[in-house]
Amino acid sequence: MTPEEKAALVCEVASAYRETRTTGEIAWSPAFHDLDDGGRREAFEETLTHRRLEAATSADGLSGTARAVLAKIRGNPPQTERQGNPR
Amino acid sequence: MNADVHLSRIADGDPNAFAAWLSSTEHEVRVSLRVFASVVDTEAVLQEALLRVWQAAPRIVPDGKPNALLRFAVRTARNTAISELRRRRSSVLDPEAFERAADAASVEALAETPDVLLRDATRECVDRLPPKPREAMVARLEGSGIVADELLAERLSMRKNTFLQNVTRAKRALLDCLREKGIVFAWATDLLANANANANADDDGEQATGAQT
Repeated sequence: MTPEEKAALVCEVASAYRETRTTGEIAWSPAFHDLDDGGRREAFEETLTHRRLEAATSADGLSGTARAVLAKIRGNPPQTERQGNPR
Repeated sequence: MNADVHLSRIADGDPNAFAAWLSSTEHEVRVSLRVFASVVDTEAVLQEALLRVWQAAPRIVPDGKPNALLRFAVRTARNTAISELRRRRSSVLDPEAFERAADAASVEALAETPDVLLRDATRECVDRLPPKPREAMVARLEGSGIVADELLAERLSMRKNTFLQNVTRAKRALLDCLREKGIVFAWATDLLANANANANADDDGEQATGAQT
């Protein structure tokens, strides 16, 4: 795995987006399984930064994690299909 | 700060109160999962745990100490992680060892509410990014948690891998820019050092390659 490939996987795992299965279970990021222990720990630390930046720049002060959880609570599931694209 | 000020409204089913509670406590709950970072997808575990906290909030009885709901959330997150380990029957792991390590983590300080200085500095640094990394970073910042990376990339007419590379570049540049402004995330210090070391190594490699050709 090249450093660029690893960085892309780390970036993907650091996203707050997670698919929700039909059972309601929140799926793990597929990229998580492609990283070794060090890459997973790196992704965790990256997550701290991404969530802080998201909260700092959003009008409501919420991170992507908070948005994902609140969307489920409010009955607005995350966009997983192209039909969900507002454009 | 005692985030339990939101507890009664959360217990009444007010999502806005839960949002306010999340904005001050999410970081602390996430950090409590650090010990599990190499064995579970902590983002998925955290979201699962926070949904359980929301469902259980009406049954939380304050014990007189501050942050009862946060302490419950930390326990819930840890238990969710351990349940995942057991469910997946990980053969190389000892869930009890993780439980003991998580017990050692303390809930001492709540994350500060997003401050104006950080927000303004971040926006200024985002504006300084090159076009493609900026597009990708803005899309990720706005869509994270609610839109899949594939869709974010598609909207920008990028391949997913290109999108992720642009976000990575943007994030490194953002941290550099914020550091110039005197803003350093304590947890990001090592990452920044590693990233710069890798970038320097890449530069050296490119120069060496260039010299050879």
